[in-house]
Amino acid sequence: MTTTTPARPATAARAARPAATDRNRLMKFGHWWWALPGILLVLGIHYVATSIGGFFAFTNWSGIGSFEFIGFDNFVKIFQDPSKIGALLNTLFLAFGSVILTNVAGLLLAVALNRGLRTRLALRTLFFMPVVLSPLAVSYIWKFIFDYNGPINLVLKSVGLGDLVTSWTADPTWAIWTVLVVITWQNTGFAMVIYLAGLASVPVEIEEAAALDGAGMWKRFWNVVFPSIRPAVAIATTLGLVNGLRVFDQIMALTGGGPAGATENLATQVYKQSFALGNFGYGAALALVLTVIILFFAVLQQRVTAPRAEV
Amino acid sequence: MTQHRRARAMWTGVLAVSAASALLLAGCSGDSGGDSGAQEFTFTFATSNNLESPYQKLANDYMAANPDVTITTNPTPNDKYGETVRTQLQAGNASDVIQTTPGSGDARGLVGLAEAGFLEPLGDTATSLVPSGSESLFQVDGKTYGQPLDFTIGSVVASLGNPFRMGVTDFTWPENMTDLYASCDTFAAAGGSLFAVAGAAPPNTGLMTQAIAATRVYAETPDWNQQRIDGKVTFADSKGWIDTLQTVIDLKDAGCFQAGVEGGGFDAITNGLSGGTSVGGFIPSGAAIEIAAAAPPEANFQVEPFPAEDGGKPFILASTNYTLSINAASEHKDAATKFLEWMASDEAQQKYYEYSGELPVSAYQQMDLTGTIYEPIVGLLADGSYTTLPNNVWPNPAVYDALGTGVQGLLTGQKSIDDVLSAMDAAWDQ
Repeated sequence: MTTTTPARPATAARAARPAATDRNRLMKFGHWWWALPGILLVLGIHYVATSIGGFFAFTNWSGIGSFEFIGFDNFVKIFQDPSKIGALLNTLFLAFGSVILTNVAGLLLAVALNRGLRTRLALRTLFFMPVVLSPLAVSYIWKFIFDYNGPINLVLKSVGLGDLVTSWTADPTWAIWTVLVVITWQNTGFAMVIYLAGLASVPVEIEEAAALDGAGMWKRFWNVVFPSIRPAVAIATTLGLVNGLRVFDQIMALTGGGPAGATENLATQVYKQSFALGNFGYGAALALVLTVIILFFAVLQQRVTAPRAEV
Repeated sequence: MTQHRRARAMWTGVLAVSAASALLLAGCSGDSGGDSGAQEFTFTFATSNNLESPYQKLANDYMAANPDVTITTNPTPNDKYGETVRTQLQAGNASDVIQTTPGSGDARGLVGLAEAGFLEPLGDTATSLVPSGSESLFQVDGKTYGQPLDFTIGSVVASLGNPFRMGVTDFTWPENMTDLYASCDTFAAAGGSLFAVAGAAPPNTGLMTQAIAATRVYAETPDWNQQRIDGKVTFADSKGWIDTLQTVIDLKDAGCFQAGVEGGGFDAITNGLSGGTSVGGFIPSGAAIEIAAAAPPEANFQVEPFPAEDGGKPFILASTNYTLSINAASEHKDAATKFLEWMASDEAQQKYYEYSGELPVSAYQQMDLTGTIYEPIVGLLADGSYTTLPNNVWPNPAVYDALGTGVQGLLTGQKSIDDVLSAMDAAWDQ
């Protein structure tokens, strides 16, 4: 059976075309109109405010009163000051240290709690719990644990290791590690959840087929599972790195940047210079340096972990 | 409902919301006070704990005495006070009356705020309270911008009852360094310490070092800060400052501080003094009142001088730590000025002493301090053996920060004396 569509009269088609075009224009205009408040808010809050902050990086503004434009003097000062170089190195240490530790631990937990274990749902909740807690509250609890009169030292004394007792958060060697421990403890659950989501997308059949072909556990993981969760790796490591580069609460609560600046990072220096010491321009320059570093590593991270094209 | 009706309803709604918003904004921004009839103003001050602030009590007393006045108080956490006030002044929403500090060594220092045009010049009453020789801390271009309130002693607050709690029965406050080090041994052997120090809190390590510097630097050279301003001396080349920091190291090596001092916070002082495990702490004199409230009655707190070196003369820090200023952008300046006038009255000064424990700036010289916590230092006050808190005179907060963090570095062994003093010089010259 064949059907024929009646030909639309030419005049009607000509009349309908301009009407449709007008409607499309109106719709497009409407789209922009409704999006405008959101766009203005995003521009105002994110970009204009940030740009103004960036402008002050080239001034000597103290936070009040007038200021002068001083070009790149603040940046020269940053890279000539050993304490700021130390803060930069601490920033990178905490960022990469926390990314490596949280992702390795998170992936191990995710693999362990992915299937099979009966109590996996309860255990997932337990491991994810620290993520939802306030970093400040968590840090104060850990500060008590690391305190000179706290449980760690009490345990060391009770097992005859009194020589190892120290003020952990004020020890020049150990203070930065206490910060890393707290960040890792709190963020591992987040990486675990991302990897669990990634593992859920790995077809069981392929794993089973690999097992039937004689692949061991490690080979199955490396050749089947890991390639499948590459997007999860990209997300977990990128978010972890960005968060690690801007750690603030944990340092302020645990060490305050001490002892004698040993745990200062760029974020705590931005705060200290801008608000505590009244060097807003200098603090803005530090913030700009931190922003550039975060951008650089985030883009690099995305490039490294992006899915490769099939050859 | 037709298209037209819906549109009309929508526009009616938009207009109603706009009108309501405009009324709301008008209500928020309207001047509900004014300087005639019923008066009101706002008052921001720093607070360190959840106890009722002396400033709150004084504001309540003023309102009780002046029923037509309403004071809206804004207690602000002490550790964020400076930046909060600066931000509010910059944004134009600061209170009418603001607690400030003399000089420029602090983020809330009145000199910097006045130079930026944020403070209103005060009248003769405030000027009359400015201690002679300290005008530069309260005035800019000959105009006074902060009304002094207190006369705070920066030395050692000691519990003379705590030695008994540690089983040491024959203790008197040491008058020389030999006796002091002997006391350190005694208390360390008893499981306690002579001093409780917040080694991880730069404000406390800074105050401790300044209290020691009173005898090593300012007793011999009272105008040392002026000499530093004139470029005649530096911290790194000053024998007095080198001796001061060496004393800090010696105190640590002699076991005068509590175990784990480098990691201690302010809680280490409160717990040590109220719990009876330490005898003294380097805290402002007024803080003794708060700690005494947490300690048993037999704790018996006194303000004691830190001993001079052998052959040196006793000297302490004593100066105004807090001032009241009026916001230049205030719309209630008359009401605020009347409040400051009242704060300078004998009645208010006496209340301030009762509420805060700090000596009142206008009346301390006439007060009989026998039997008070200040009795041990009455003689030093009488013969002028005191200097103003040095960091009030220093040109920016970074110098005090370099001192406070540097001393923590001395306690951990991260820094040398020269490192600390050179950093202070660098901060001074920035």
